[in-house]
Amino acid sequence: MVKNITIFTTNTCTYCGMVKRFLDIKGLKYEVVNLEENPERQAEALSVSGALTVPITVVTKTDDSQQVVIGYNLSQLAPAVV
Amino acid sequence: MADQVHELVIIGAGPAALSAAIYTCREDIDTLLIEKGAIGGLAAVTDWVDNYPGFEDGLEGLKLSESMRKQAERFGAKIDLNEVTKLSKEGDLIVLDTLTGPIKTKAVLIATGSEYRKIGVPGEEEFYGRGVHYCATCDGAFYRDKKLVVVGGGNSAVQEGLFLTKFATHIDMLVRSTIRASDILQKELAENKKITVHLNTSTDEIVGKDGKVTKVIGTHNGKKVEYQTDGVFVFVGLDPNTKFLAGSDVELDERGFVKSDSRLMTNVPGIFVAGDVRSGATLQIASATGEGATAALMIREYLEDHAKISKAKVVSLYGT
Repeated sequence: MVKNITIFTTNTCTYCGMVKRFLDIKGLKYEVVNLEENPERQAEALSVSGALTVPITVVTKTDDSQQVVIGYNLSQLAPAVV
Repeated sequence: MADQVHELVIIGAGPAALSAAIYTCREDIDTLLIEKGAIGGLAAVTDWVDNYPGFEDGLEGLKLSESMRKQAERFGAKIDLNEVTKLSKEGDLIVLDTLTGPIKTKAVLIATGSEYRKIGVPGEEEFYGRGVHYCATCDGAFYRDKKLVVVGGGNSAVQEGLFLTKFATHIDMLVRSTIRASDILQKELAENKKITVHLNTSTDEIVGKDGKVTKVIGTHNGKKVEYQTDGVFVFVGLDPNTKFLAGSDVELDERGFVKSDSRLMTNVPGIFVAGDVRSGATLQIASATGEGATAALMIREYLEDHAKISKAKVVSLYGT
C-alpha cells in the first residue's frame, strides 16, 4: 500500500500536470516539489532517480520500499500506486 | 464494464481527438477518449502557438489544449487516462485491449498523433534525462545560465530553441542540412543573439563524464567538430504512435502512418483516423482539428447507417 507520493516538477511541465491529474482521479494525496523554486532539492531528485528531468514520481510504500517513475508513464505509474 | 459497448472510442486526446469529441458529443454520440500521454498531445508541451486561428496574439500550447479539453468535456466527453495496447475486431465490434481491461465499441477514431523522434546516436540513450532531453518546457529550467546544444532545423527545433534562450546563456543549433522552419521563426532566430546556427552539421555522438553530458561530436563539411555543452535538446522530427496497431488489420504506409480514404476511414470498416498519425496529414494543429471535425461527421454517418442496417436485420428476422 502507498504511504506517500512525491512528485518533482518544474513550472512549465505539462507531463507533471498529467501525473497530478492521474493521482487526483485516483484520490491519492501527494507532495509537489518544484525544482525551479527549490533548486537545492535537485540533487535529491537526481539521487533518487538517476536523472535530472521531470516529472519524477517517488512512491513510498508502507514497507518503506520505493518505486520511482521517470516521466509520465502510465504503464509504470498505474501499478506503482495500487 | 466488460459488457458495455460504446458507440465511439477515440484513441488519443490531442487536438484532432478533442475536436472530434466536441462534434460527436454535441450529437449525443456516446464518446470515450483514451489518452496515455498529455491531454492536448504535442500541442500541450509546445511553448507557444502563434498560428492557430482565433488567437490574435498567440498563446501557450498548454492553454490552448486546456481550452479544447474543457470544451469537449462541457459537451460530455469522457477522458480515460489509460493506454490501448492492442486493437482487434469481434464481428461488427472493435475490441481495444487496455491497461485496465478490454473495451468494446462500434466505431474507433485513431487520433494518437506522433512523438518526437530520437537521433539514434551513441550516448543518446545513455544520457537520457542526464543531459539529453526531448521536452524543452519540462526540462529547460535545469539549464539556467548554462550552455546548450539543440539538434534539429524544423519548426519545433527553432521554436523550442528560442524558448530555451530564457534559461541558457548560449545555444549551438546543429542542423543536418538547412533550416526548414517557417519564415517568421527564421526571422526570430536570426535576431536572437544567444543562438549560433551550424548548418550542414550532423550530430554523431553525445559524450559525457561522471554521468553528465559534456560535449557533442558532429561532422561539418566532412570535418569533425565538437561543441562543449551542459545539455542537449533533440527535435529531429516525428514518428507516428502506431505500435499498438501491430497485428491488427489496419493498413499503415511505409513510414508507419495510418492510411485512409476520403472519408478518413481506414481499410477496416468502423475505424477512422485523424490528425498527425494519418498518412498525408500536414502536421499542424489547425489541420488536426479540421480533420477531427471531418472524421466526426463521417463517424456519425457510419453509425447511423449501421443502426439502419442492424434494424433492418432485426426486422427481417422477426418481421415488422
